[in-house]
Amino acid sequence: MADPTAAPPLYALEKVSHTFVLPSGQRLEVLRDVSVEIREGEVVALLGPSGCGKSTILRILAGLIQPSSGAVRVRGAPLTGLAPGVAIVFQGFALFPWMTVVENVRAVLQAAGLPEAEAAARIAEAVRMVSLTGFEEAYPRELSGGMKQRVGMARALSLRPEALFMDEPFSQVDALTAEALRAEILDIWAAHTRNPTSLLLVSHDIKEVVTMADRIVVLSANPGRVRTVLENTLPRPRDARSPEVLALVDRLHDLITGHELPDLPDLPGPAAAPAAPPPPEILPAANVAEIIGLIEWLDARGGQDDVFRVAAESGREFGHLLQAVKAAELLDLVDTPKRLAVLTAEGRAFAAAGPEGRQRLWREKLLGLKLFADVRDALREAPGHRLPRDFVLETIVLRMPSEDYHRVFDVWIGWARYGDLFAYDGISGAVSLQDGAG
Amino acid sequence: MKVTVRRAYGEATAFLRHTRRLGWADLAVVAALGGVIFAASRLAHGAVLPMRPAVAIDLSVAALPGYTILSLMRGLAALGLSLLFTLVYGYWAARDALAERVLVPLLDVLQSVPVLGFMPGLVLSLVALFPGSNVGIELSAIVMIFTGQAWNMTFSFYRSVRSVPPVQLEVAAHYRFGWWQRFTWVELPASVIGLTWNAMMSMAGGWFFLMVSEAFVLGDRDFRLPGLGAYMSVAVAAGDGRAMLAAVVAMVVMIVALDQLLWRPVVVWSQKFRQDEGQGGEAARSWFLDLLRRSRMLRLLRTWLRRARRRAPRPPRPPAPARPRIGRVSRLLPVALFGGLLALLGLGALELVHLLREVAWSVWATTLAAAGATLARVLAAVALGTLWALPAGLAIGLSPRLSRLLQPVVQVVASFPAPMLFPAVVAVLAQLGVGLSGGSVVLMLLGTQWYILFNVVAGAMAVPSDLREAAASYKITGWRRFKLLLLPSVLPYLITGWVTAAGGAWNASIVSEYVAYRGQVLTTFGLGARIGMAAEAADFPVLAASVVVMSAAVVLFNRLVWRPLNDYAERRFAP
Repeated sequence: MADPTAAPPLYALEKVSHTFVLPSGQRLEVLRDVSVEIREGEVVALLGPSGCGKSTILRILAGLIQPSSGAVRVRGAPLTGLAPGVAIVFQGFALFPWMTVVENVRAVLQAAGLPEAEAAARIAEAVRMVSLTGFEEAYPRELSGGMKQRVGMARALSLRPEALFMDEPFSQVDALTAEALRAEILDIWAAHTRNPTSLLLVSHDIKEVVTMADRIVVLSANPGRVRTVLENTLPRPRDARSPEVLALVDRLHDLITGHELPDLPDLPGPAAAPAAPPPPEILPAANVAEIIGLIEWLDARGGQDDVFRVAAESGREFGHLLQAVKAAELLDLVDTPKRLAVLTAEGRAFAAAGPEGRQRLWREKLLGLKLFADVRDALREAPGHRLPRDFVLETIVLRMPSEDYHRVFDVWIGWARYGDLFAYDGISGAVSLQDGAG
Repeated sequence: MKVTVRRAYGEATAFLRHTRRLGWADLAVVAALGGVIFAASRLAHGAVLPMRPAVAIDLSVAALPGYTILSLMRGLAALGLSLLFTLVYGYWAARDALAERVLVPLLDVLQSVPVLGFMPGLVLSLVALFPGSNVGIELSAIVMIFTGQAWNMTFSFYRSVRSVPPVQLEVAAHYRFGWWQRFTWVELPASVIGLTWNAMMSMAGGWFFLMVSEAFVLGDRDFRLPGLGAYMSVAVAAGDGRAMLAAVVAMVVMIVALDQLLWRPVVVWSQKFRQDEGQGGEAARSWFLDLLRRSRMLRLLRTWLRRARRRAPRPPRPPAPARPRIGRVSRLLPVALFGGLLALLGLGALELVHLLREVAWSVWATTLAAAGATLARVLAAVALGTLWALPAGLAIGLSPRLSRLLQPVVQVVASFPAPMLFPAVVAVLAQLGVGLSGGSVVLMLLGTQWYILFNVVAGAMAVPSDLREAAASYKITGWRRFKLLLLPSVLPYLITGWVTAAGGAWNASIVSEYVAYRGQVLTTFGLGARIGMAAEAADFPVLAASVVVMSAAVVLFNRLVWRPLNDYAERRFAP
């Protein structure tokens, strides 16, 4: 743990909260009371499901976004404008397609005011560091995803930043290439005589985080909060198959499920953060096909399976799969003791039923949720049994104020359509009662 | 090694070696450069001649190449002016949220003002500015062509700057690009493709009023400039069929040459600025660009320029202070500019109201009735154009062979200014016994049908091939195929074509309802004819009233009909 008398951290967030105002005028709370530190010489990872605001944290640390409240500090001093000594490697590469590899790198050096000769030397050095020699005159569209991200890395490294911020850098790169790039980044970081001395890695990949980071900040979503911070003291280089690494991966899995599927009693975890109040009835971002797929999967395996094994074997991103599990749990089709997903009696009935039986069961389950029952009642009263989409949006905002209501509406209408409850005309924007709602 | 030997030779012999290998590509470059210099000097020479409002136009064919080059230079000068205007206005509108609220609607209005509406004010003020020389007339001709070119380019640039991918702006902010760096490295490159296509369209639009721009009558004064448009006007007035034909041929030659020597190379070059990552379909090619790339002289010039730039001392920029001190100036400048803009607009509005106060109610009533007549013709022209262009466009667009064969031809034909064909068409109509009231619809059609055709072709080419295969495999053919597959796919494109065609038809009404033919003037009842007559009679209040009504009609029709229709098509049929 950090010694309070030591030098202040390179970059720090203190109790930062942030609210976006969507173009529609809705306010969306993305971060609440987030505190993060990056110290000299360490690799820090932000781990969390999509929608937990981890990319926003990176941008606030870099000075690209001003937080709504809280403090941003660089070496203890409050930050104004862009953070010095930071270079970002972007998720989607963010290369200029009309510039060659060299021109993409040269642009940032020129913008930094470096003289031509110095820039040329830096370009050569950066290109060599990331093994792009021979590709200097290529345009980004001629390169594969992995090569493009090398250009993104070269661009960032050419500035010799103290800290390299990486925003899901390998999520758009194939698995083998990502493996190689991870090793190369660690090699570059490990040469302690030169910059960058610190790395910030934003990721949703638990294995990636365990093999790379010294400290892992686990975040939870809606709004984004720090769930817990894990110190990772495993010796380097780390072997992804070693029992120690696998044990840590397992522990992180448990930590995340412990929070995301909260019917579990408290897990034995380090310095568990104060538990947040249980969220209201929220529709998880899972579509009908994913939920049915999960039920079929469990049914084919005797009615239960380990959630992590499902993720690993089905190739779904863990955070995504959790949404489907939560949705099935909300509908009482699945129960989640510990890290298992178990079909309930109704879940088994659902799996055994034919198309019409499934639809009937599904409809009953939906009407057990306030969000569907309320709209059904309102539609019965409405003239012509039709209501504008805005009515539903308002209902959603009232029930889940910190959710993006357009996304929730898409999930909502998808579920309702499968239950033959409501119809929706995308052109006129009218929601109407279907036969099934009777 | 060859490379080291070359380096060892040093710089002294480098030029010599290249000169020895000069190819015919270089000769062509030299010849072209010479031609440009010659034409520019002629234009300048003509411009400073003592004031001769009625330049005698030589109708001999030998004089035609000179006139053609002069007209070309005017068109290019206007294009340069349009580009300059576009960059300044479009950038301002895109980057200044306050000014954007005024600049964008203003551009919408400017776009709908008929080209001739600008003419009298422009000509009189510019002529007054340069008494005793032709510079004023020359400038007003260029500015008139400019008013037919600039607006859609500006809209395109504004939209491109506004739709630069956010992550690219984030990179620019994070890596501390200055505003000029962001402009030249991010925003301008992102706009190149849209700007290229719109400049091509603009150039064609600019030619439409060439005859009017180079030869016009204002009250009792007759302004004329040596050029292809004036040549055609004089030939029409004299009823000289041979000269008319020669002028048409010269125009075609000029358009083909521009297409091959300017637009194709620019289009090919602009492909570099694609945002999409894929390799794209068939790459566009330009023999002229290949030739230029082969030219050693240009390559030499480029390396020389690059070296010169590198040698120029570039003081390293000091690291930016935490709190930039220029904040006050940079914050005040947009406000000052915006204030100036508002003042200018207020002044213009005051002047206009002053002018319009003189207009009697009865004149307003006639003007509105005339607007109704012209609206009917515009809609008729759009309907007639759709009737043939929709099937033809589908046929061309759905057949790769046809589109490869016909598209370049259609492009050249569409660039040809229709008014140059009016005399021939009017003669044919007279033979058939059709009056100008109906005939002007045909004249409008000549100018605007191409917009519909182009858009339908583009839409047909974009019909997803898997949908076409699905339709074929389920044996959906004939009318059913049109209704279920083709019409929904091309409808958004068709509507774009309609909007452009209707706008063009309004503008064309001025020259279609009011046609000079063999020394006499044919007119019919309509708003375009009223504008043409008022301009010629220098009746400014009536001119102002007619122009205001036409602009209002275009803006209202866009708002109330085209935009809702477009929104519907995009919601309903967008993929």
